[in-house]
Amino acid sequence: MTSLGAFKTPSLGFAEPSAENKQAPFGTRSVSLQAVAIRMKSVSSTKKITSATKLIAATKLRGAELRSQAARNLPTPTHDLLGDAPGAPVSKTVVVPITTDRGLCGGINTIICKYAKGIVALEEQNPDGDVKVFVVGDKGRSQLRRVYPDKLLGFTQDNGKFGGLTFGVASLISEEILKAEADKVMIAYNRFFNAAKYVPTIATVLSSSAAEAMAEEGGMLDAYELEGPDRAEMLMDLAEFQLASQLYQAMLDNSTSEQASKMQAMENATNNAQEMLEKLTQLYNRTRQAAITTELSEIIGGASALEG
Amino acid sequence: MSSTAAANASAYWRIAGMSYLRYSGLCADMVRAALKEAPKAKAATREGAYFKYTPWADGVAGTPVIVDTKAALK
Repeated sequence: MTSLGAFKTPSLGFAEPSAENKQAPFGTRSVSLQAVAIRMKSVSSTKKITSATKLIAATKLRGAELRSQAARNLPTPTHDLLGDAPGAPVSKTVVVPITTDRGLCGGINTIICKYAKGIVALEEQNPDGDVKVFVVGDKGRSQLRRVYPDKLLGFTQDNGKFGGLTFGVASLISEEILKAEADKVMIAYNRFFNAAKYVPTIATVLSSSAAEAMAEEGGMLDAYELEGPDRAEMLMDLAEFQLASQLYQAMLDNSTSEQASKMQAMENATNNAQEMLEKLTQLYNRTRQAAITTELSEIIGGASALEG
Repeated sequence: MSSTAAANASAYWRIAGMSYLRYSGLCADMVRAALKEAPKAKAATREGAYFKYTPWADGVAGTPVIVDTKAALK
């Protein structure tokens, strides 16, 4: 095997081992080229995957946006009536971070978990307070279970995996949250504005007794004349409905934000892959050209030496 | 009079151990079942609920429960 053999196939495949040393591949230049070729193939398939994921997210975003728009005003009436009082002085609080089940969607889960940790830290400052965490979504579970092993109430995943995210899903999850008998439930989620803007938001839902206490301090509730015998019971129903509707809207908004964030993250990944691929192609071509030039000059040098 | 009847009804389901959400969910199922064919098919997409719930106590995860109301009805 001469250097001419390597010259004929300068870039592809393993270089054949030399007769003297079969362990060492022939010509380090060819090996480095092969490593670059493998890398290029890998980056190019990553690019294909990220680009396809981006397209899927863009398609899903439209449907998710319509669903979240339809549910946008569901919690508004109860919200107007009972108010949003994140600072209500209560003894038992449940924090509900809404996260996604799947990754590859940018930093939307991390930011929600940070908010949840912030709320827990604030509520812990109350010496009589008791704060618990109920996680919605698999990604939040993996981030928070080690931080608050003693504070977790439970977690849900695959929400609406079959049959879609219906109000029934939010109702049944709310029932689990209600079992904790908290005075205040704080839902942290990404509120969707448009494909480039989704803001971490906290919605607070008070229990009937806490809502009654807030009404005494001056709320909208006393402005209404109620029919029926029992205001406490009505408030209990209303607080349950407010929790479910708020949770429903938060889950839908978060899933829309997930698709928007995924679209953006995958676009960035595709661009990065493209940039990397261009650099690798340049490196590959330059190295190959350098090998060809060196070997050509070796041949010419050898030939002229023979002639001389 | 109607409000008294409603109050009594609500008292019954509360006594039976139901939450308002479960009660109103059942009512919604009844209303959906009473619809005519075309709107019924449309409303059927909003029916049912599926999720996986894992309770957590004393620092360890409990047994996961799959909540699937459609499968439960079948």
